[in-house]
Amino acid sequence: MSLFISSKGLVEVVTAVVLGVLFCVGSASASGMVECNTKDESKYQAKDVLEKQLTSKGWKVRKIEIDEHCYEVYGTTPNGEKVEAFFNPVTLDTLLVARRGEILFKSEEAMKAVSE
Amino acid sequence: MRNVRSTPEATRRRRRGHMVLWTLLALPAAVMCWRVFVVGIHPAELLHGSGEVSARLMLVGLMITPLRLVWPGARWLLWLRRQRRALGVAAFGYAALHLFFYALDMETLQNILAELSATGIWTGWIALALFVPLGLTSNDWSVRRLGRGWQRLHYLVYPAALFTLIHWVFVHDNAVAAWINFSPLIFLEVYRVAVYFKQRTR
Repeated sequence: MSLFISSKGLVEVVTAVVLGVLFCVGSASASGMVECNTKDESKYQAKDVLEKQLTSKGWKVRKIEIDEHCYEVYGTTPNGEKVEAFFNPVTLDTLLVARRGEILFKSEEAMKAVSE
Repeated sequence: MRNVRSTPEATRRRRRGHMVLWTLLALPAAVMCWRVFVVGIHPAELLHGSGEVSARLMLVGLMITPLRLVWPGARWLLWLRRQRRALGVAAFGYAALHLFFYALDMETLQNILAELSATGIWTGWIALALFVPLGLTSNDWSVRRLGRGWQRLHYLVYPAALFTLIHWVFVHDNAVAAWINFSPLIFLEVYRVAVYFKQRTR
């Protein structure tokens, strides 16, 4: 019985250490993938324009939202990947394409925005 | 421990309590299915909700034991402990619903396999796989049949919780919600370990 309890204590220590590591990794990598410095919404192109541009390239668009001053598109790429994609709302340039939190594409503009 | 007040009246009251609890636990699932199949909302919109309900029920179930260290005599904790199986089964049910909405969203097996390598995805599959034996053995017959092994089997809920956390942190572009939901359990478990070591050194 005492052996059982002590092994359970060990499990919890290991869990605590893993959680600590995860917290650092998770909060560094996964929060706020991209940010746009396009705060003036009057300069944005219409969502419809982006949708048309994407569908003409073979995308399927489910939803377009504004997130961190970027257009965030939920949809399917021409390759059939279900993704979240971020676009500059003024130029409609592709900034970042991510599938379930995994980055498939990141433009130089997006990298610069994050490092600044 | 069960037959403290096993009068017919108490039994009736317990059954009625159970009915109310099960109805409450099933209600969000009914609303989610209604929204997808009647209103016609895209199943991807319900992915987050179904997963979140599942994780929260699991977290509540896991917090009961360490909470009893904080409030040893609390009657609501005793009540909650009696309902723990219902919470666990419901957590498993919502995980299954989460998978169902995911399958509807992904449409083909090919699509599902294509994103299996993402950290946020395979960890979810492992968490669900760990949940299956727990869900299947959450009945009186299995408890009797497995004896002491039942308890040991159900410790699988800890790795399942850990994989659920990793799944949640990585599948989203914002990990804060996952940490907020898990933080009460994490604090309680840290407290539990502290108490354990204090008692051991004494």
